[in-house]
Amino acid sequence: MTTHQPATSAANETKAILEVADVTKTYGEGHTQVTAIANASLQVQQGQFVSLLGPSGSGKTTLISMIGGLLTPTSGTIRLGNEVISSMSKKELTRLRAERVGFVFQSSNLVPFLTARENLLYVASLPKNHDRKAAAKRADNLLAELGLSERANNVPEKLSGGERQRVAIGRALMNDPDLVLVDEPTAALDTALGRQVVELLAREVKQRGKTGIMVTHDLRMVEYTDEVFEILDGKLTKSTGNAALAVH
Amino acid sequence: MMLAFAEIRRTRGRFLSIIGALSLITFLVLTLTALSDGLFYGSTGAYRSSNAQAYAFSTDAEGSLIRSRVPVSDVAAYQNVEGVTQASGIGVLLASGTGPEGELDLAVFGVEPEGAGVPTTVDQGRMPTPGEDGAAAVDQTVADRGAGIGSTITVGDRSVSVVGITKDSSYQLQPTIWTTIPTWRAMQASVRPETRGLPPSLSAVALELSPGTDPNSIAPVTDTTVLSTADAALAIPGVKEQRSTLNSIIYTTLLVAAIVVALFFALIVLEKRELFAALKALGTSTGRLGTTVLTQALVASVVGVIIGVAIARLLGLALPAEIPTLFRLDSLIQVSVFTVVASVLGALFSLRRIARIDPATALGGALQ
Repeated sequence: MTTHQPATSAANETKAILEVADVTKTYGEGHTQVTAIANASLQVQQGQFVSLLGPSGSGKTTLISMIGGLLTPTSGTIRLGNEVISSMSKKELTRLRAERVGFVFQSSNLVPFLTARENLLYVASLPKNHDRKAAAKRADNLLAELGLSERANNVPEKLSGGERQRVAIGRALMNDPDLVLVDEPTAALDTALGRQVVELLAREVKQRGKTGIMVTHDLRMVEYTDEVFEILDGKLTKSTGNAALAVH
Repeated sequence: MMLAFAEIRRTRGRFLSIIGALSLITFLVLTLTALSDGLFYGSTGAYRSSNAQAYAFSTDAEGSLIRSRVPVSDVAAYQNVEGVTQASGIGVLLASGTGPEGELDLAVFGVEPEGAGVPTTVDQGRMPTPGEDGAAAVDQTVADRGAGIGSTITVGDRSVSVVGITKDSSYQLQPTIWTTIPTWRAMQASVRPETRGLPPSLSAVALELSPGTDPNSIAPVTDTTVLSTADAALAIPGVKEQRSTLNSIIYTTLLVAAIVVALFFALIVLEKRELFAALKALGTSTGRLGTTVLTQALVASVVGVIIGVAIARLLGLALPAEIPTLFRLDSLIQVSVFTVVASVLGALFSLRRIARIDPATALGGALQ
């Protein structure tokens, strides 16, 4: 990770791998202009797993989309490691997402006609320089770690909801990303299974020294994260333990 | 590539449906092409098998052997035209004749057996020798109807015995018999009483040219027009029209193939919008997704074409001989390539749709 150290951090400050500075996103113009995110700033250190908590319509999806290089902010900067992603072209963002960002979607969104193992290998084939042999080995290791070795050659249809989300976690970690973005991972799961999945996510992210951000509206899931950011009506605040409870 | 082939393999049913549709379209186009070729080649065989490079018709005949009538003296006149190495008279008569197995519709060609305008496709036996009146070579189609070598064919009050068989030499879908000019003239007088007593004439003059001579550069003798053999074939009444009618049907069908493929992949892409958005979010480029769809269109159309060719050939064998069909390798290759190209063009329409899918919709469950 040393190559991704920010160039301009102050000496006494811990080096944040992700830095969102004064980011605003507006849609539309004039009277119909809507501000989805207003002057949001946050920093996440390498190895941290944080949650972004907020009700639906609060702007949390917009914020995480900008952090993941899916949307471009109207103003402000977003820096991931040594790359300023807020000013990248679409093509550069596609490359960035393939190489440095892992996604876990609400409904796992696995490729239905690829097996669990092939789903992992598919994302491994996305970056320009990829080593097929190394990818195969890495996929097998990940599947073993996620307890999916026996299910590696099953298509998603043959997997349970929890297994599917575990494959999705494996897929997100496959390219050894700096940042793992998780969008309501428990939306399609019951509480017990949801807890297992989030626990697994938290463990994998920390063990591998990744940085993780989880979007959720489920307060019960924040206990697995190091820090909680709250978002309400487009305004982002860092929450203390009790304030987090006030959201619900 | 990984996505393209895995999807075909694991969702075989839906790809079989598009392959089935494409094979039926290929079959239809090939059958139409075989009919078109059958009509064309059945109409023009006498020209295409000829040793002459050009024909001289009377100017008012517009290139039709049946309508054309030239004086016998034109043969000698063309003999002296620059570029002509050999000029021979030919006479044509459409008439009914009688063979061993009953009535035959025939095109009787009177030719100078060692001159120009003679078929080069003698398959069995021989052409009549010069002066051998009462002998004829016949087209394979006549032999197929029971009048092989040694049998007798009667037209009017004249009979000829068959001494040879030529291939691919029919004229206006009529089987031909090739005899001497005196025999032809006698048959004409017998079945066309109105021609009796007129000064002897010919239908046209067949010309062999010195190598490299452009048929269009031959200076025509008074009241005649020279056409290259290929142009004369197209001037046969109906040939051009049949060809263009069938060709428009064929091109329309190819257009349908493109539309079918376009709709199929439009549906597939529509159905996979959510998946494609997720794949784009993961860092898949639009180009890569587009390549996947085009690869699938290519595979489906190639497999469909192969099956369609097989069906067309099998059904072609079962068609009765009266239907003039001809399966030619060059037409088959052309139809196959056109169908594959039409399919890929159809699939290209989906690319715009893929390009418009916004990866940001993968987050937040916007599509659910």
